Amino acid sequence: MEKTAAANRTVRLRIKRCDGPGKPSRWEEFRVPIEPGSNVISCLQAVAANPVTVEGTQTTPVVWDSGCLEEVCGACTMVINGKVRQSCSCLIDDYVTGNDDVITLEPMSRFPVVRDLWVDRARMFHNLKRIKAWVPLDGTYNLGPGPREDAATAERRYVLSTCMTCGCCLEACPQFDLEPDPATWDTSFVGAQVFGQAQLFNDHATSRQHAGERLDVLMGPGGINDCGNAQNCVQVCPKHIPLTQAIGAIGRAATIHAFVRFFRG
Amino acid sequence: MSQQRVIVVGGGLAGLAASARVAEGGMSVDLFSLVPVKRSHSVCAQGGINACNEVARQQGYSEYEHFDETIYGGDFLADQHPVLEMANWAPRIIDLLDRMGVPFNRTSEGYRDLRLFGGSLFKRTHFAGATTGQQLIYALDEQVRRYESEGKVTKYEFWEFLAPVIENGRCVGIVAQDMRTMQIRAFRADAVVMATGGCGLVFGKSTNSIICNGAAAARCFRHGAWYANPEMIQVHPTAIPGADKLRLMSESARGEGGRVWVPRAKGDTRDPKNIPEAERWYFLEEKYPKYGNIVPRDIATREIFDVCVNMGLGVNGEKQVYLDLTHKPRDYLDRKLGGILEIYEKFVGDDPRDTPMRIFPAVHYSMGGLWTTHTKGSYTPAQPRAKHVSGATAPLDSRPGQGLAPGATNNMMTNIRGLYAFGEVNFAYHGANRLGANALLSCIFDGLFCGVSVLNYVKDEEPAKAPAADMPAGAFDASVDREQQAMKRLLATVSGAKPDTLTNPYAIGKELGDEMTAACTVVRTKARLEQCRVKLAELKDRYAKARLPDNAGWGNQSLGYARMVGDMLALADAISLGALERRESRGAHYRSDYTERDDANFMKTSLAKHANAGVTLEFVPIDDTLIAPTARTYGKTDAKAPAAS
Amino acid sequence: MSQQTTFLDRHHFLLRRLHSLSGIVPIGLFLIAHLTTNSSILWGKLGLRGEHPEFSWSQGGAAYFAKEVVWINEQVPHLFLIELTLWLSIGFHAVLGTIYALTGRMNTSAYPYGANKRYRLQRASGYIGILFIFYHVATLRWGWTFLIPGGTAWSHNFASSTLAAALRGGEEFTAMGMVVSAFYFIGVSLLVFHFANGLWTAAITWGLTVSRAAQQRWGYVCAGLGAGLMAMAWASVIGFAMHSPAAAREVETKMHPDAAAMPQTP
Repeated sequence: MEKTAAANRTVRLRIKRCDGPGKPSRWEEFRVPIEPGSNVISCLQAVAANPVTVEGTQTTPVVWDSGCLEEVCGACTMVINGKVRQSCSCLIDDYVTGNDDVITLEPMSRFPVVRDLWVDRARMFHNLKRIKAWVPLDGTYNLGPGPREDAATAERRYVLSTCMTCGCCLEACPQFDLEPDPATWDTSFVGAQVFGQAQLFNDHATSRQHAGERLDVLMGPGGINDCGNAQNCVQVCPKHIPLTQAIGAIGRAATIHAFVRFFRG
Repeated sequence: MSQQRVIVVGGGLAGLAASARVAEGGMSVDLFSLVPVKRSHSVCAQGGINACNEVARQQGYSEYEHFDETIYGGDFLADQHPVLEMANWAPRIIDLLDRMGVPFNRTSEGYRDLRLFGGSLFKRTHFAGATTGQQLIYALDEQVRRYESEGKVTKYEFWEFLAPVIENGRCVGIVAQDMRTMQIRAFRADAVVMATGGCGLVFGKSTNSIICNGAAAARCFRHGAWYANPEMIQVHPTAIPGADKLRLMSESARGEGGRVWVPRAKGDTRDPKNIPEAERWYFLEEKYPKYGNIVPRDIATREIFDVCVNMGLGVNGEKQVYLDLTHKPRDYLDRKLGGILEIYEKFVGDDPRDTPMRIFPAVHYSMGGLWTTHTKGSYTPAQPRAKHVSGATAPLDSRPGQGLAPGATNNMMTNIRGLYAFGEVNFAYHGANRLGANALLSCIFDGLFCGVSVLNYVKDEEPAKAPAADMPAGAFDASVDREQQAMKRLLATVSGAKPDTLTNPYAIGKELGDEMTAACTVVRTKARLEQCRVKLAELKDRYAKARLPDNAGWGNQSLGYARMVGDMLALADAISLGALERRESRGAHYRSDYTERDDANFMKTSLAKHANAGVTLEFVPIDDTLIAPTARTYGKTDAKAPAAS
Repeated sequence: MSQQTTFLDRHHFLLRRLHSLSGIVPIGLFLIAHLTTNSSILWGKLGLRGEHPEFSWSQGGAAYFAKEVVWINEQVPHLFLIELTLWLSIGFHAVLGTIYALTGRMNTSAYPYGANKRYRLQRASGYIGILFIFYHVATLRWGWTFLIPGGTAWSHNFASSTLAAALRGGEEFTAMGMVVSAFYFIGVSLLVFHFANGLWTAAITWGLTVSRAAQQRWGYVCAGLGAGLMAMAWASVIGFAMHSPAAAREVETKMHPDAAAMPQTP
């Protein structure tokens, strides 16, 4: 990577803004000075401190969601130049090389916008409840260690467990759609995030006992069969979680579960 | 009794552990968080969680030694009983996390793997890749989600805590605001647990998340809660400089063999790979032959600072040193440190498996926090013991109840009845410096162990006789009204003149961070601190005239930011005052004008109190009845000058 | 979850898996058999196994194909069952497939990955494929001759010549005949892709291929199968389009002297 940034370099952020649910969207453009190492977050911070558009109009600071700024919390996910990713790890120099080039920021399109670039991903957490994404503990009392686990299983589960519920896999999925009404969530496609988490718990010695219930949910409407195998999920996952592998594993478990359910009742 | 409720503010490790424990005890929990709880700052903890374990035990380690290390590492500032109890519970907490399904790294035989961490000669740190904090919080998040789906926990995410509601010295609820709808309302509770973490944002750029502004603690402080050891701010030795934040490079990088060095010759601009071994100065290994690169954080930080700032030996003359892992095999690094090395690669662009990382210290953790009390446990020796000899037989076993009385209702309660503080937001465990991988432990310990105290308080004490639900609405309405007025006042500033540098809350916040970083971090002096307090007074003055850029009644983040700047100024006041008044050097607090530890005058908790006139500070004695203080040297030898060879 | 559930929701899993299965058996199997038969226009002389040694390659192709078609058409009860099964399967697969495909939102411009492009093409090939099948069957099975440029009518005894004439738009190539041939070329190509790609995704759906490596390996197998079928499909279309209907009719007349006279083109 060349670190030959000219002095006084700027970038223009073209931002899709919206004042709230049901309000119309509009585009605003801001010119921001950058230095080597600048990222979308530092640029948005500069906009917040001085919310004046390139036309010189005073406006309101752009609203966006963020947290850790080191790509482990998942909060600052947005659509940058048409593609979903975390904005904290989005270095300006990786996107533009010249001076005063444009970078486009949009909110994720598959989740309802709260304001500007801030979206509400409650549906992702809701879906975790549907599949009982937890180990059914007897309680927090001291009952000794958990089940022994071989290193390979632990490593396999660890990767799945790094899912930070950012929603990249869902935003990029052609099968996952915006569902503003929570009433439709239980029959709408759940997406790769949920398959990854279901597999994480189906692979755990204690939590496996919920596997059947999880599969019952995932074999229903919006479940594993609605996956179209476009496999964008695995391409855009910032944590490189083998989501398509999880989808295959859930598919296999569902096939077996269906036969068992049919013949055993 | 069923209508009795407990409020937990903060959804990190401490808040989630408390929620799980209280819900499990049959009490309804309202859990408030600025962000969806799964995104709390605990996800950033990388290295691991300390606990005595069977392997270490058979090599001579013990819970007692863990306790001893923590007291010693904290430079004898922590009250000792809570630390003993925490160390004794640590192995049980690991077992519990294990049962929750945390994918701890495993040995070939399937046991939990261990790594070396700062301040210990034993491998006693359990870890899950390089994102242990993330894995632990996810495990607790899952358990709380389970209680949520059973209706025992109600989450209020994207809600901001504005103030405790205090009636006759007792906390009976909170006022909070939905940051989407901007609705402000009061919530009644029989006990309130603050689990709101640290205050890194006071220093501008730090290793903390954007939400770690300390505002919630400051709001309790301004409503009468005491704030202890505010000056004890840990500066982590290894962080990656960045435009928006200083990203942590975990201590595990050193624990797994990372070596810190600079070129011996000033102005050596060669590619680090071309600098021969003899021309590299491994200054930590040379100065601390026993601990080497894994000396505690404050020491490593000061040494790096010294090498860069005082000796001018920083890489390329800048404030950075090398943290070198290139001598380790790639697959080993990927397995043990994959996550954090990836962060470096992503944000810097170099592969740390091939090129030494360039790092510099950054503000990381607040040992100080809301003052809390406790009931001592059964272990009360006639004489404090001498420092434990590493590996010697432990003088006592690890039975629960020796450090703290289990279930005592005042464990980790603040000076306001019914208001508790768990995790980083309290001051209880880490003294003047926190050992690596003890933070996760203290958070979960508070939540689980002291969660029972909360339950007992609600069931057995005042709330049982006078439940918050039955109280007259007056205090709640008044609190809501006060917060609404404050909001209206801030929003009204939008209609006036445009904000300028003097009145822009973002500019004030940035100047605050710059000033605090310059005056109140690695090296502190009276002169600089006094200058800092003048600056703070100026900033407060400007803050009173702050103008907001946005008066939206929906999703108004500027309002949240501006409000928080006012609270950060109050904490900065306490931090700088504590740093000024503590005329000694201890742990993370280093005064170049008072370089020695002064146990006679300052082996005491500094206690900040907020009154209308401002912040006052007093020093109160600590409980040092278990271990007698000794010099904290970590076997330092005479520092050699970097003879260029 | 209980109120207002649709038939599709109640039998979601079964329908989805039947949709997947029906694409392979019987539709996929039929496609293989059909393309094998049709491509015999090029290799049919081998299929005659020494019968009619006087036939050239070209004549042998037309003869063998005609023989196969006649044979199939003589299996009356079986043929009926086969056709019924096929119609039900294709109808089921097409209707459900359309319903499912309508739930997708294409985004290949933002995410131009291989699998995503195949996802898109799978749906496009389904839509176009069903139009093609309809046209193909309507004209050559149900005798909707008004849809055929030049109006060639189907007779199974004169299979080779009618097909060649249908593709050409008459005895010689016409402009409309070029359009029909192009439509056939695109239609069969898309259907072959649809089958090969569907076979690849079905293995994930049913959980046969789980790991990335397995999916990749199975991908090669499907690509190989697809390439083979594609070759047969192209051979069929090109083979018939290039075949002179008159020459084919000559062969067919020789083989079926007792058959009804070639229907007249209006």
